[in-house]
Amino acid sequence: MLGKGGKRKFDEHEDGLEGKVVSPTDGPSKVSYTLQRQTIFNISLMKLYNHRPLTEPSLQKTVLINNMLRRIQEELKQEGSLRPVFITTSQPTDPLGDSFREAQPAFSHLASQPVHPTDLVSTTPLESCLTPASLLEDDTFCTSQTVQHDGPTKLPPPAVQPVKDSFSSALDEIEELCPTPTSTEAVVVAATEAAATTDDSKDNSSESNVQKSEGVQESRTSESKLMDSLPGNFEITTSTGFLTDLTLDDILFADIDTSMYDFDPCTSATGAASKMAPVSADDLLKTLAPYSSQPVTPNQPFKMDLTELDHIMEVLVGS
Amino acid sequence: MGEDTDTRKINHSFLRDHNYVTEADIISTVEFNHTGELLATGDKGGRVVIFQREPESKNEPYIQGEYNVYSTFQSHEPEFDYLKSLEIEEKINKIKWLPQQNAAHSLLSTNDKTIKLWKVTERDKRPEGYNLKDEEGKLKDLSTVTSLQVPVLKPMDLMVEVTPRRIFANGHTYHVNSISVNSDCETYMSADDLRINLWHLAITDRSFNIVDIKPANMEDLTEVITASEFHPHHCNLFVYSSSKGSLRLCDMRASALCDKHSKLFEEPEDPSNRSFFSEIISSVSDVKFSHSGRYMLTRDYLTVKVWDLNMETKPIETYQVHDYLRSKLCSLYENDCIFDKFECAWNGSDSVIMTGAYNNFFRMFDRNTKRDVTLEASRESSKPRAILKPRRVCVGGKRRKDDISVDSLDFTKKILHTAWHPTENIIAIAATNNLYIFQDKVNSEMH
Repeated sequence: MLGKGGKRKFDEHEDGLEGKVVSPTDGPSKVSYTLQRQTIFNISLMKLYNHRPLTEPSLQKTVLINNMLRRIQEELKQEGSLRPVFITTSQPTDPLGDSFREAQPAFSHLASQPVHPTDLVSTTPLESCLTPASLLEDDTFCTSQTVQHDGPTKLPPPAVQPVKDSFSSALDEIEELCPTPTSTEAVVVAATEAAATTDDSKDNSSESNVQKSEGVQESRTSESKLMDSLPGNFEITTSTGFLTDLTLDDILFADIDTSMYDFDPCTSATGAASKMAPVSADDLLKTLAPYSSQPVTPNQPFKMDLTELDHIMEVLVGS
Repeated sequence: MGEDTDTRKINHSFLRDHNYVTEADIISTVEFNHTGELLATGDKGGRVVIFQREPESKNEPYIQGEYNVYSTFQSHEPEFDYLKSLEIEEKINKIKWLPQQNAAHSLLSTNDKTIKLWKVTERDKRPEGYNLKDEEGKLKDLSTVTSLQVPVLKPMDLMVEVTPRRIFANGHTYHVNSISVNSDCETYMSADDLRINLWHLAITDRSFNIVDIKPANMEDLTEVITASEFHPHHCNLFVYSSSKGSLRLCDMRASALCDKHSKLFEEPEDPSNRSFFSEIISSVSDVKFSHSGRYMLTRDYLTVKVWDLNMETKPIETYQVHDYLRSKLCSLYENDCIFDKFECAWNGSDSVIMTGAYNNFFRMFDRNTKRDVTLEASRESSKPRAILKPRRVCVGGKRRKDDISVDSLDFTKKILHTAWHPTENIIAIAATNNLYIFQDKVNSEMH
């Protein structure tokens, strides 16, 4: 994919490159520009999805990183080669996905996943995406930094393992229950709403941006959807796009803001493109608690919640 | 015994070694009061330490100017936001002194959410000989009171008392980045990422929202407020800076809600320096009015700029703080250094500006002579009354003795917070957990 990108023209961007990275010669500069852009894109995604969950992330930082992502999106959109990058935020849910996730550091599946869900094993673009920024710049002080990509993003295995398992099985169940547009579109959303089933908390509203992908089409529509799936909403910076990676903390520590009341689930639920709906924190807590805590009786409570999930899926898939 | 001494040694080395600094000890703000007699620092542990300048000694004029600890108190405690399930850090983001109006000193301190007004008072006498109370203040048994006496004030050791006077809570949804006391001495403002509130110093249960840049849909958000300050003389004027590198001057006489600025100060982007990081490095991390009120000083990642209030199109002066980092931006982005918020300061006569950098370096720029100097704040190089040697960061191949190369800069040692005495050439530099106070040599020029 990168190779492809390298053959394209970047006339207007070439002068904007950073000194060392770009040599004035034609070919290499294009390649390194794409490489750098890809690296920056990956770092940006990393930054958005990995922060200390206990404290509120700096809004300024989030905004700046988002603007960076938007800028790169714009560029890619103009070049028409948007696709390779934007599969990144979605996550395959087939059984293979789990093992893949185990094997690969989070960085890699953030970075770039192959277009076809079948060849999940590392491919050339994947490797090139892992090129650390320090290589591009040939300075030393951050080399140790790049190594850390694997460390903090990887969740502690003992706690995670049961969670993931129950989650993936849950996902499988959801898939069976719900008519998913598997063959056509990339993204389906599982989300819950503050429905009548919830108790009190009308104030504690949270959103979770939960999505998964089955396969990707090259159509423009899928492109635009993937664009939407980028973390643009700062109120939910803590929610991730990876349902399977969700831990209780991820949901508990989602930023909540009154502005969420402005968010209309109905307008957003137009078709499969919608990714989010308001969720009461308690609701989510209830729903997810079985998976995040010890899986003593993981399945039984889930069955009860499945009906709720099912209902929401109906709403979202846009029956 | 042997063990004891060992422990002490280890502790001692801990104290000296920057790498073992506990997070809570890191200084997060430095501020002189209006006379320069007091200097307050805040740290990540929510503590405020006030230093007082020793009174002048006639015999030894050189001794004058030493600052010693005057008072220490816990200003903020860590809290938990149950609605968001997030911790609210106790870190002191800003301290501002109020103009002194009586024997007591007052200061405002803020963390991410809550602003507090503290009163600092001295007491060196205590009343003694009450008729109905004993020494501890307990009521005496009335049957033991047989005669009346007049209570008297007895001298005692000086005690500095710090008491909370007001707590301005619940005014901010986002993180407070600046507070600024108005020249009317009655109001102050507090700015978070998206809003600026105006408070009366005596009223804690309401504030007026004077700026709100929060979009209806947060997905449309592309810009945040990064710093804000009142004009030093005109109580109706204030400025706020943004993450896109612009400054907005607002006039509160124009309307109650100052969403429409009176003046917009913005410099067009230099196309030759355009990169992915253009926006991030143009984000303004600090803005300060000059003492005269004529100019504004801003700091972005690589430069400090002086703006004339009468010219909006571009700054009148731009100084490079560490331009050699321009080729390292990708790495600095990766390790988050690019988001460091360096502050800047004017000297008393508005002729010199100062700001921090990495590797415990800080920079000074003389606006008249256009000379600049890089100095280092470190234990190794600064013994009491030692003269600071200028430092140089070498960029190219040529490297002089004592030069330091860009690659060996320590990016964990950053000087973010600096303050300049309001009238004299005394500066306070916060380097991680150390506070350095440097004074101009008596009767000499600064450089």
